[in-house]
Amino acid sequence: MGIVKIFYKDSCPMCPMAKKLKESLIEKDVGVVDFNVETVEGLAEATFYHVKAVPTVLVEDEKENWLGEWRGNVPHIEEVLTLVNGV
Amino acid sequence: METTDLNLFVRTSEETLSDWDRTKIVDALVRETLIDRETANEISKEAERLIRTSNIKVVTAPLIREIVNAKLIEKGLEGARRMHTRLGMPIYDVDNLILHPNKENANVPHGPEATNLTLAERIKKEYALLTVFSQDVADAHMNGDIHLHDLGFIDRPYCSGQSVEYIKRFGLDLPHSLSMAKPARQPEVLLAHLIKFAAALQSNFAGAIGWDAVNIFFAPYIQGMSDNEVKQLAQMLIFEFSQQAVARGGQAIFSDINIYWEVPKHFVDTPAIGPGGTPTGKTYGEYEKEAQRFAWKLFEVYKEGDGAGRPFFFPKPIVHITERFFKTPGHMDFLNHISDVAADKGNTYFVFDRGETAKISECCRLSFKLDEHDLRDAQEPWRMRYCALQNVSLNLPRIAYMAKGDDTKLFKTITDRFVLAVKAHKEKRAFLERLLALGENGPLSLLTMTRDGMPYLRFNLASHLIGMVGLNEMVQIHTGEELHKSKKALKFGLKVIAHMNLLAEKMKRQEGLRLLLEQTPAESTSYRFARLDLRYFSPASGRVVKGNIVTGEVYYTNSTHLNVKEFMNPIERVTQEGIFHPLIEAGSISHIWLGEAHPTKEAIADFVIKTFKHTTNDQIAFSPEFTTCNSCHRTGRGLTDTCMYCGSTDVDGITRITGYFTKVSSWNKGKLGELKDRYRNAEFFVDNEIAVNQ
Repeated sequence: MGIVKIFYKDSCPMCPMAKKLKESLIEKDVGVVDFNVETVEGLAEATFYHVKAVPTVLVEDEKENWLGEWRGNVPHIEEVLTLVNGV
Repeated sequence: METTDLNLFVRTSEETLSDWDRTKIVDALVRETLIDRETANEISKEAERLIRTSNIKVVTAPLIREIVNAKLIEKGLEGARRMHTRLGMPIYDVDNLILHPNKENANVPHGPEATNLTLAERIKKEYALLTVFSQDVADAHMNGDIHLHDLGFIDRPYCSGQSVEYIKRFGLDLPHSLSMAKPARQPEVLLAHLIKFAAALQSNFAGAIGWDAVNIFFAPYIQGMSDNEVKQLAQMLIFEFSQQAVARGGQAIFSDINIYWEVPKHFVDTPAIGPGGTPTGKTYGEYEKEAQRFAWKLFEVYKEGDGAGRPFFFPKPIVHITERFFKTPGHMDFLNHISDVAADKGNTYFVFDRGETAKISECCRLSFKLDEHDLRDAQEPWRMRYCALQNVSLNLPRIAYMAKGDDTKLFKTITDRFVLAVKAHKEKRAFLERLLALGENGPLSLLTMTRDGMPYLRFNLASHLIGMVGLNEMVQIHTGEELHKSKKALKFGLKVIAHMNLLAEKMKRQEGLRLLLEQTPAESTSYRFARLDLRYFSPASGRVVKGNIVTGEVYYTNSTHLNVKEFMNPIERVTQEGIFHPLIEAGSISHIWLGEAHPTKEAIADFVIKTFKHTTNDQIAFSPEFTTCNSCHRTGRGLTDTCMYCGSTDVDGITRITGYFTKVSSWNKGKLGELKDRYRNAEFFVDNEIAVNQ
């Protein structure tokens, strides 16, 4: 099963939607890690993935191979689940 | 003059022999320190007694001062002793300096002027550490926790970026100069003004003097010139800059020229200034062809090299690769042209300005993103003058030795060092403010001139740089792996730089200072830190420093670079090193060491395009190596002990030390150690050429 990484910051207008996506994914037992890009951990991870806009949603497999991404917007949960479950 | 019965002569600092006069000690103590006259009198008597009983026939002023200082210490007057200290050097050191080259900066040749420069620098360094900086900052520098760069140039800002438009509009009208020149009417005169102004600026800044969009701003003067005439102008520009080794201490002006194939968006609608400093009625967007002709000819000259076929050391050509570059007709021809120079001579610096970001590069690595205010200035480009007041680097490996594997301690110590660096910046800023407040009668009069209604140095916009040395070794000590070894190690390195980036942001707001992270060139700092850590943190440091401990050729890996020794596909290196670059706002670079390899221009161009499109790397440069013969004056590829043409042993090796080319014989031991370690990418480019040719 794939893992979802969500990048956000406190002040961005679309980020609350990303938080809702996180909650919905957790309800469906999907592994989700979120990163606040205004923290050291979050900024380091965002830099590693070249994240320049928030929110960004990345999907990787268990070996951290890239499966898909949405940069600067929040996808519909079904789109994420397709990728996550397609592994 | 009151004399004592002591039958002694004193050799004073004014180079005269004076009769002994004890009250001079009293006067000096009262004038220079905060002690009262009675205590001063008492100390002078004790000093006199000591001199009398010592049976010395000629007493020097420095000796008296040292005796008085010893008496101050005996009385517990440490503060007064500090204020009464004399700055200077032992004869032994001066002897060494006069006889042997100074290797702290490979851009300083050996000669009487260079000795003057070094002597002055030594005294100013001591002055800075005693009077400009507080004790904790000075101690941190002395023991190698941090490095305050260019202390010998404490009374000037660090580096700067200029616009040719300033001299085009105002001519050469410098404070206290013997004559003033009106704006140039001829291109050769403009060039002469440019070189003279650069030399004047070198006397007012410690480091690099960068010039923005040189080919764009010369364009109105080039209109109507034949290709041969443009080539001649390009030749004059490069030779004049590269032969300016007669200015400060025989040191060539560390100069950069920024070059664009396209007219940058922020200058497209800017009214162009032409001969005589008057508007031409056109915009710079209308001069693209002339600007391109000049850029092309400049690189023809770089390709030919100097009279012995060597690469020019200065001015460094920095070409901006932008989204617009790829949309501008002729860009592939130009990319191949400058790639040819990169492959053959190594001069070209490829700076990547992705997206809509406009940038100006100033120094080895220092670059600025232009904000809205700057973009408004672009309509009057002579206003576009920038500078960094100082650069302070942190010794990252030392922090890791001290943290002993504890994350919390590691990040806390980084914060402490960062705060100390900011304190150092505030102290230098306050010192420079005092100098600048003296206006046109002060030591920095050039920077206070107000030809366009505001001081030449725009102090409110000045930056403060914080650099880092040895991230690779810090991560190695703390996690057990070097940066290139695993994703985990690389990510830990990112955490460290992210921490510094956020600290810079936070302290920028708190202190109201323009604090920026920069990849310090650290030509001597990486050597200095490694040596000091071998002294204070052995045996742990002995397992980590790079180079050869037996020969003393030790160093830490520069800034956030990966181990230079590591065999690695250069695309992989540029990609991995480039991951750090977005966090380092004031500029970064990756070096591709070529050794004897001579890639095709197509291979270099292909590499540049891939770097632009698929990485976040800010800047790359390719560095070949050369051996130049002082007997037959020919230059061959690779570093060899003898001339490959005539067999002479009177040869010099040439390659890039940090951000510039220079002779290897002038390098410090740390850099020599690094040179031996550098992995040359010959194999990659051989394979790559085959791929490109297919």
